[in-house]
Amino acid sequence: ICSDNCHMLQKTGVLQQWQDHIGKSCNQTPKGRLTLDKLTFTAWCNSHLRKAGTQIENIEEDFRNGLKLMLLLEVISGERLPKPDRGKMRFHKIANVNKALDFITSKGVKLVSIGAEEIVDGNVKMTLGMIWTIILRFAIQDISVEETSAKEGLLLWCQRKTAPYRNVNVQNFHVSWKDGLAFCALIHRHRPDLIDYSKLNKDDPLGNLNLAFDIAEKHLDIPKMLDAEDIINTPKPDERAIMTYVSCFYHAFAGAEQAETAANRICKVLGVNQENEKLMEEYERLASELLEWIRRTTPWLENRTPEKTMVEMQRKLEDFRDYRRMHKPPKVQEKCQLEISFNTLQTKLRISNRPAFMPSEGKMVSDIASAWQGLEQAEKGYEEWLLTEIRRLERLDHLAEKFRQKATNHETWASGKEYLLSQKDYESATLTEVRALLRKHEAFESDLAAHQDRVEQIAAIAQELNELDYHDVAGVNKRCQSICDLWDRLGTLTQKRREALERTEKLLETIDQLFLEFAKRSAPFNNWMEGAMEDLQDMFIVHTIEEVQSLIAAHEQFKATLPEADGERQAIMGIHNEVQKISQSYGIKANIVNPYSTITIEELLNKWDKVKKLVPQRDGALQEEMARQHAHERLRRQFAAQANLIGPWIQTRMEEIGRCSLELGGTLEDQMTQLKQCEHVIVAYKPNIDKLEGDHQLIQESLVFDNKHTNYTMEHIRVGWELLLTTIARTINEIETQILTRDAKGISQQQMNEFRSSFNHFDRKKNGAMDTDDFRACLISMGYDLGEVEFARIMMLVDPNATGIVSFQSFIDFMTRETADTDTAEQVVASFRILATDKPYILVEELRRELPPDQAEYCIMRMPPYKGHGAPPGALDYTAFSTALYGESDL
Amino acid sequence: MLACQHLFIREQVLLRGRAPWGFTLRGGTEHREPLLITKVEEGSVAAAVRLQAGDEMVSVNTVTLSGSRQEAICLVKSSHNSLALVVRRWDVQPCSRS
Repeated sequence: ICSDNCHMLQKTGVLQQWQDHIGKSCNQTPKGRLTLDKLTFTAWCNSHLRKAGTQIENIEEDFRNGLKLMLLLEVISGERLPKPDRGKMRFHKIANVNKALDFITSKGVKLVSIGAEEIVDGNVKMTLGMIWTIILRFAIQDISVEETSAKEGLLLWCQRKTAPYRNVNVQNFHVSWKDGLAFCALIHRHRPDLIDYSKLNKDDPLGNLNLAFDIAEKHLDIPKMLDAEDIINTPKPDERAIMTYVSCFYHAFAGAEQAETAANRICKVLGVNQENEKLMEEYERLASELLEWIRRTTPWLENRTPEKTMVEMQRKLEDFRDYRRMHKPPKVQEKCQLEISFNTLQTKLRISNRPAFMPSEGKMVSDIASAWQGLEQAEKGYEEWLLTEIRRLERLDHLAEKFRQKATNHETWASGKEYLLSQKDYESATLTEVRALLRKHEAFESDLAAHQDRVEQIAAIAQELNELDYHDVAGVNKRCQSICDLWDRLGTLTQKRREALERTEKLLETIDQLFLEFAKRSAPFNNWMEGAMEDLQDMFIVHTIEEVQSLIAAHEQFKATLPEADGERQAIMGIHNEVQKISQSYGIKANIVNPYSTITIEELLNKWDKVKKLVPQRDGALQEEMARQHAHERLRRQFAAQANLIGPWIQTRMEEIGRCSLELGGTLEDQMTQLKQCEHVIVAYKPNIDKLEGDHQLIQESLVFDNKHTNYTMEHIRVGWELLLTTIARTINEIETQILTRDAKGISQQQMNEFRSSFNHFDRKKNGAMDTDDFRACLISMGYDLGEVEFARIMMLVDPNATGIVSFQSFIDFMTRETADTDTAEQVVASFRILATDKPYILVEELRRELPPDQAEYCIMRMPPYKGHGAPPGALDYTAFSTALYGESDL
Repeated sequence: MLACQHLFIREQVLLRGRAPWGFTLRGGTEHREPLLITKVEEGSVAAAVRLQAGDEMVSVNTVTLSGSRQEAICLVKSSHNSLALVVRRWDVQPCSRS
């Protein structure tokens, strides 16, 4: 307040001037003399007037027109006074001063003996008194310190404030202030930073006072109002001045103090407020955070979006555990803390008489409580949900796996079945194959049925997976759907295939039946045709007309059967066509081959055509043959005629010869002659034979081999002829031999006749030979005592070729042999023995000595070496040689 | 009544030992006769194998004879310590009741 004034004063240098002036005029008369009170009052007024932008320089003069007085009052009081009169006349001035005085009066101040005229006239005392009244009223009067007011109050205040300062004792407003310590103490009390009180000295009042005034002016905005020397020098300084100056201090400090107290109170209140606000803020903050946390957390707990996998759910569970163990407990504490804070806050507010704390919208305790409740509810539900979910997922995993396995198994089973069922393999299958396919299909059908409940199981599992809301239920459904679709398709295809197979079977059976029928009929028909063809082509060899005729008749008979055969052919064709029709109209692609028959319809037709062609051919052939046969017949007759003549002739001759050889009368020579004659006859007959040969050739060339017109075949005749020839020759030869034998062996004719007689006798059959029984009987009759062995030996001799007959010659040979005198071989042996001088061997020199050279050499060459004991080398065995010569060898 | 069958049989004999075997051979194509054994010495090897007079020589040591006695003699003499003969014999055998 005062500092502006000081500034102003300093700026104008008026202060110095003024101080100088004060120094000069301190002892002047009251009027014009600057006493302390004038100084002080002037300074005081200026400290207020500067706010109105004006100053007074002379307190005695400047208030005389009342304008500045009014202004001063306005500034001090802060109220407006009535408008001053703007005139220079005295009454104007008086009016103005009166306004001021009236105002002062209106403020409850009794103005004793202070009138406007005196002021206008410039009564110093009155003016000062008025100023003092104003100061008193407006600067001091309102001081109230503990129910003590005004001067006493001010005094009390000073005492209170300076109480701590031992060297200060304020009892009044004059001498107590003389050493300046009181001022310093006041300053120090309120602003210890401005003054170092401990350095002050009681004995330096001037220094103390000036220090205090300087500081007050510089730092406290209290312009200097007192003069330090004046105070020191005056035994009792002007009380009013000091009061005025001290009141400035009071206003400065008390204001400050009030302000401080107020500030303290405010601070306290504010502090409390602030504290409360802080608490409220804290509460709000915590509440917000907590609510935020709850707001964040609750949805997490309420989030019932299931995870797809167990692992993820378990992780969720883990998170929840973490939440319960680690995240929530601090929050629980926070909530608790919040509640405590709230309660504390409310209590504090209540205690400090403040209105109760109303948390902002949504952060009320109830809100928090309800949010927390919500959280806990969510929590509870969450854990349960987690466990349920995990169980569900477990089950789902298990089910899904089950589903997969079953589906895979089923799919594996089903794979390829659709393809197989769609096969049209029956179209080209035979009946047995189709039946086999049917059996196989039956087996498949039962397999299919067995799988029915498996498919149902799969579907059931899929359904459950749906109900339990499996995460990949779409995939499962898709797979299940495809399985079911395939199942339906399989069912349909199975049914269709069954129908197709059965139908095909029936058709094939029908065809089979037809084939069988075909086979049954075509075989005999084929055979018949083949037989017919054979017959028709039969190269008949007929030898008689009758044979031809019968062939012709047979042929006619055959021809009669043709129509029937044709009927059969047509029937068979019909069967074949039936088969063709069936297989074409039902699209049977199988190579329809008749399993019962290898005969094709083409074959049959071919054969039939052939047969038809052959029939007329045969007719022709037969006719030809007929002609030929007639020709042959002629030949036959011709031959027969001839043969019938020749045959008997030969027979007759044979008989002749037989008779001749058997005759006993006459000599062998006679027999011979007869025979020779016979021979001659025979030879002469040859041409007949030749002619017959000729006829025979013809016949043979015509391949006629029979001739019922004669019993004689050419061979007969030929054989007979040859036999005749040989017989005659042999017989002649026999006779010759007999002659020789007779001559050689000296058999007499009689003997010969005897032999002949015996032979004839035993030749029962009279064919010039004896059989073995005859011979045996003969031998017995001749006195031979025959054992079997003997007889066998003899048989060997007489019948070397085992013909079973004994000829007369053999018989004679045998007989003559047996009746020979001595064995010629033995004779020779005996002869050699003589030559060998009774040795069983002979020596070469002996042979050479005794025999002619040729025979000796012959013997030497031919004789085997002798192999007996004691034989010298070169010994020869004459016995073996002899026996060898005569047809015997000893081995 | 028992019927008998007369027939020629073939007999195979094996003579073991050495010459002389004890049989006499007669005949042959040289004499226009069959080749027959006419004598069998008692106690000989030939007798031991029951060769008989009247047996016709068919083969010697598996060689079928042509009928020549010289050939037969050579073949027999070429045997060392065994002689295989095949002979034909006129035999009488009883046959079943008729």
